[in-house]
Amino acid sequence: MSMPLKKRKGSRGQKLLPYLMVSPYMIFVLVFVLFPVLFCFFLTFHKWNIIAPMKFIAADNYIRLFQDRLFWKAIGNTLKFLLLHIPLQLIVSLTLAYLLNQKIRAGAFFRASFFMPVIVSGVVVTILWQQLLGFDSGLINRLLTSIGLAKVGWLVNPDIAIYSIAVMATWKNVGLYVILFLVGLQTVPPQYYEAAKMEGATRWQQFYHITLPMINPTIFMVVILSTIGGFNLFIEPYIMTGGGPLNQTLSAVLYIYKQAFQYYNMGYSATLGFFYAIMIMTVVILQKKFIEKEV
Amino acid sequence: MFTPHFRHIVFLLLIINFSCRNDSKEKSAILFWCSNNSNEIKLCTAFTNAWNSNNNPKIHIQPVPEGQSSEEVILAAVVGKTTPDIYANMWQGNVEMYAKAGVLVALDTLNGFLEFMHERCDSSVISEITSADGHIYQVPWKVNPILTIYNKNIFRANGITLPKTYTAYRQAAGVLKHNTKDSTTKKRFGYTAVKPIWYEMRFNFYPLYLAASGGGNLIKDNKAVFNNKYAIGVFRFLQSLYRDDFFSKESTGASKDVFASQDIATKWTGPWEISYLNNLPNRGFEYDYYQQIVPDDHAGPIYTYADPKNIVIFNTTLDAQASWEFIKTLISKEGDLQLMQLTGQLPRRKNVETDPFYSNFLQTNPMMMPFVKQLPFVKGDDNSEVIVEVLDIISQEYEACVVYGNKTPEKAIADAANAVNVLLGKQDK
Repeated sequence: MSMPLKKRKGSRGQKLLPYLMVSPYMIFVLVFVLFPVLFCFFLTFHKWNIIAPMKFIAADNYIRLFQDRLFWKAIGNTLKFLLLHIPLQLIVSLTLAYLLNQKIRAGAFFRASFFMPVIVSGVVVTILWQQLLGFDSGLINRLLTSIGLAKVGWLVNPDIAIYSIAVMATWKNVGLYVILFLVGLQTVPPQYYEAAKMEGATRWQQFYHITLPMINPTIFMVVILSTIGGFNLFIEPYIMTGGGPLNQTLSAVLYIYKQAFQYYNMGYSATLGFFYAIMIMTVVILQKKFIEKEV
Repeated sequence: MFTPHFRHIVFLLLIINFSCRNDSKEKSAILFWCSNNSNEIKLCTAFTNAWNSNNNPKIHIQPVPEGQSSEEVILAAVVGKTTPDIYANMWQGNVEMYAKAGVLVALDTLNGFLEFMHERCDSSVISEITSADGHIYQVPWKVNPILTIYNKNIFRANGITLPKTYTAYRQAAGVLKHNTKDSTTKKRFGYTAVKPIWYEMRFNFYPLYLAASGGGNLIKDNKAVFNNKYAIGVFRFLQSLYRDDFFSKESTGASKDVFASQDIATKWTGPWEISYLNNLPNRGFEYDYYQQIVPDDHAGPIYTYADPKNIVIFNTTLDAQASWEFIKTLISKEGDLQLMQLTGQLPRRKNVETDPFYSNFLQTNPMMMPFVKQLPFVKGDDNSEVIVEVLDIISQEYEACVVYGNKTPEKAIADAANAVNVLLGKQDK
């Protein structure tokens, strides 16, 4: 017969010890997460240029936000970017992962090669692509003119600049998603394919009816990560185009940055940031609702 | 009550706390931040050492800490209340913002300041640096006038003589573009940055506007005053250069110097190019500078942008009067000569060209002459705490009108002026 467990009555110090143990992380969260979020919210009702005293302006920043055509243009640009970036990221990374999952020679080499751009600094990658996409002196245009074709304004044509950036961003990040998909593909039990083959399923049918449903959680994760990453588009337009041509590559984050650190409109910038964060959260929740399915 | 472990942890936290505390000793020296350019460090160190050998309080010199830009570092210092006593690389456009925030010393309240300034500078300079509240918060120190640099070899090879007006410049650009004999260039006559960023306006639109308008303002009495024939003319001139493919729409960034690589024949730039180009190995071409391009019917002096960097004293200073006495030595005649000799920058001082004190230097440095001759006709930035945003608004219209031709110059300038007025109106509230 077991003895009933007696709750030990410890000293006050012992009771406090667990709190003390978690306190470094709690302090970190309070100082670097909770306080900035609350302060940001507080700022949304103020006009502040960092150095002069704050001025309470009630909801003026929110009214300005809804009237600010440039902000909505930046949101539109970001959505345009996402429209190409997410499907491209999904298709390219899934295709590459599928190929790498086959028994091929030098698979490790290819995996490392695809992953390489992920670990290279975003600034370096951006400058490299600037050399490729330059109008007069870019390598791609030089190649085009050498075979008698016209130069393309990859970054200077307002109609295509955002898509050039989307392709570049896909190239930069695809390696990470290849690895994620590869892990997902390797978790699919081979017996499923064997059974399907015996039933006469084609490769496409196997992919559509077995692979895709089985890697659905990975697809969901890739979509979420690409969406959040895409909403945070900043380095590429900041370095390559400055938001031009004609504000066509002005991303929402770049606009928020400009308001904060070029014009020192901290209150307005905080309002934009707050609103944008809520928007991203809403999109991610909607994605979760519509994409995620039980496997 | 507390276990030994708990007491140890508390003790550890206290040690960390105290070890992180600032040393709160009273400061005994004046802290002087200079630019982190090596030649300026040499210059400022020499004057600091000279001061410290004879005067009190002592000066402690330190190059401005590293950051993305010195403007950001200063802003961070102001916010953190860690400003130096003296800062000697302040962009004139930022002074009004700091003055309004009350973090600068009103220098005109210091003994001997106004007398010294009137002896050193023209009255136009003094009125330019006077803030909206009537006080002066900056010492006009050095300038880098923006002139037209040109490649002599390309000009010679194409039979081009110095194009000084809009029409002449366009004609020269056409000659270069259509000359099939000269293969030394890629047929572009010039280049200005196409990124819609405020600071680029200081090297294309603004100097041309100052040249055309005889040093006109962008803002006056808290209103936009650039909706005029001069600004429209500048936009029209620049627009024609892009439209006719004389200028490239490519953003080269810092990755390539299109003038040094002879991809272009002209550029609007300052005297800093001299030491850079002279130190280029195998440069392979000669170059020189001349004044800004002006409208065909222009009469009178040709102004340009000064790109001024000034000296300020923060109100956290140990001793404002002593700080000013030190600054006086740095901007003395001798200080200004050394500024030119060591850094290749020019002092914002009157009569440099005619003063015998500088004649020896000017004779041995003839490349500096166009800049010295320009000194009486330079202008800095208008005093506005939102000058960055104003220039950014103009840059947006510049891109739409000049680079992409989506708007007429009249509409673009009118839109910019309206937007600036809305912005300035908000500042009033």
